[in-house]
Formats: sequence, structure tokens, C-alpha cells
Amino acid sequence: MTIIELRSGNKLAVSVEPVTDEDFKKLTVKRYFFNWKKLKGQPLLFKLVHPVSGDILGLMHLLDFPQEDRIEVKLLAVSVENKGVGKHFDRIAGNLIAFTCRLAIAKYGYKACISLIPKTELKPHYIRAYGMMDAGLQVYLDGRPLFNLLKKYIQ
Amino acid sequence: MKKAFAGLTDKQIAESFVLPVKLSIRQQAEASAQLATARAKSLEQAKPVDKLLARILQLRFQLEDYLKSESYQPTRTFGHFLKEYQQLGGKKRKEFAYEINIHETLLSQLISDRREPGEQIFIRLELHSNKTIPASYWFRLVEKKKAYQLQHDSKIRQREKKNVKKSLALQEDDLPVF
Repeated sequence: MTIIELRSGNKLAVSVEPVTDEDFKKLTVKRYFFNWKKLKGQPLLFKLVHPVSGDILGLMHLLDFPQEDRIEVKLLAVSVENKGVGKHFDRIAGNLIAFTCRLAIAKYGYKACISLIPKTELKPHYIRAYGMMDAGLQVYLDGRPLFNLLKKYIQ
Repeated sequence: MKKAFAGLTDKQIAESFVLPVKLSIRQQAEASAQLATARAKSLEQAKPVDKLLARILQLRFQLEDYLKSESYQPTRTFGHFLKEYQQLGGKKRKEFAYEINIHETLLSQLISDRREPGEQIFIRLELHSNKTIPASYWFRLVEKKKAYQLQHDSKIRQREKKNVKKSLALQEDDLPVF
């Protein structure tokens, strides 16, 4: 699992880990766009961490639906310096979504599915960026397209 | 859309965010039904090779997570994971033993943890899985059990005490707590 430092082109190996109570002090709306503190105590909150500085570069909240063999990406954000033109690192969101695919496979095997509910205008971009499939109000990954995303980011 | 996203194109937003979307109860039901229909179709079209790939990746990730974790679980042995591996391919023991060129009896002994696997078994399993599960994972699984046993074996400590004639001149109070 790697991100790319756009200034140098260097690849950096990163990890995705559960958010700890200690992290919440740093999770400001100014840097991470949403009030993550509201989600304190939720079981599936993850951070993507810079390997050297330990800085949190991205955050994600997941919901697990065991009866549907599915994990939903409910909320995801990169840190403020990693959005748009001039961002420092690339592939943060992709790695977080691929991590969700890994979780789903480990838990649900061949029935594994991940999904998200997109804002209408963003839907085509999720489909293009991550190979997601259109299910109307939701986009999702399962089967071969899910393996492809894993291959692109994790293996 | 939030002020914070002003100046970003839709593409840039999708590349960096999944935004919260609230659905009405009617929309939630519709979304679930749509997704269930789409997934039923995907599952129907899935090829046997896709199912096999998913199962082997599942085993690989479970192995990775167990090897990474600090905890030792006595039931998660080499034999346990080997049995899972044999079964995920839908193979009978005899057939699987043939494919990795060992006697069926040896395979049974490995699965029941009555025999220690050698390096050649780790390598054969890696090759059999087309490198999906590296030999080092199987090795580390055996190593993890040995490390746990070594750490908790008080009998061997008692037995070996007599063979250590002199130890480093450190008092218990001098040592950091691990």
C-alpha cells in the first residue's frame, strides 16, 4: 500500500490503522473537513498514516452490514493539504477504499461487497476513479472489479 | 456543498472525499433494493475462478491479520490454515496430497499438527497457490506457535537452569519492566 509524494514522485509505504482516542485531539474540522469527534466510539473509524511523521493524511468511517456481506464507506476525507491542485500526496482516498475492500474480503470471502452513497454529480467520478458499478442510488464493488482495485492499491 | 470544497471540481472532490448523504426512509429502501438486484446479477455472473480467487485472498488476509496481531490463538495452527487451504479449492485430501507430491498420511499428520512441516512444504504451498500465499507466511505461522511455547515453557527453564553456571551480574531491580 503506497502513496505518491507529488513533488518528488517518491512512493511511500503507508498503513491504515484504527483511530485511537488520542487521535481525536488532532482531528479538527479545519484540517479534516468534518466533525470527526462526533464519531468517537464508533467501531470502524480508520486513519491513513504517514510512515515517518505519523501524521494522519486521511480518515474514513465505515458501516458494516453482515447480513448483506457488505461494508459501506460512510465518510472519507483527506487532510486539507492533500485535496485538489497542489496536493502533497496522491492515492490517499484510493488506499482507504482499497483497505475497505480488503476488510470485506477477509470477512465475507467471495460474497464481499463495498458500497457508498454518492452525491449525484460525483457518481460518474467514483465509477471512473475506482471502477465502481452503478446500482442507482449507490455505487458498489464486488467480484472482479473489487479484486482489480485491491490489485491496484494493495497487492 | 460545503464552503471548504469551493474551487474543487467534482472529479477532485470524488478523488479525495466520500461526503455524507442523507436518504429518506423511502430512498433507503429503494437504494437497498437496487443494490440487492445489482449484486444478485453480479454473483450470478461470477466465474468459478473469481470465487476461488476471493477464497484464497480471504485466507491470505486472515493469515496476515493473525501474523500481525500480538495475540496467540492455540487453535490457529499451521494445520488449521492448511486444512482451510485444502478445502477452499474443493479438493479431497488424496487429490491435494498428490498435487503437492506428499503422501496422504503426511498431509493428515500436518493438518492435525502431529508433524512439523519442513521448508519444502512451505515452498510447495507457495507454488501451489501461484504465490498468492508466500512461503514465509506458512513459516511464520509455525514460528509464532514455537515462540509462544518457548515463552511459556516453565519446565524447560527449570531443566536448563542447572546448565547456566553464572548469569550477568544484574539484580531484578536493575531491569526494566517488559
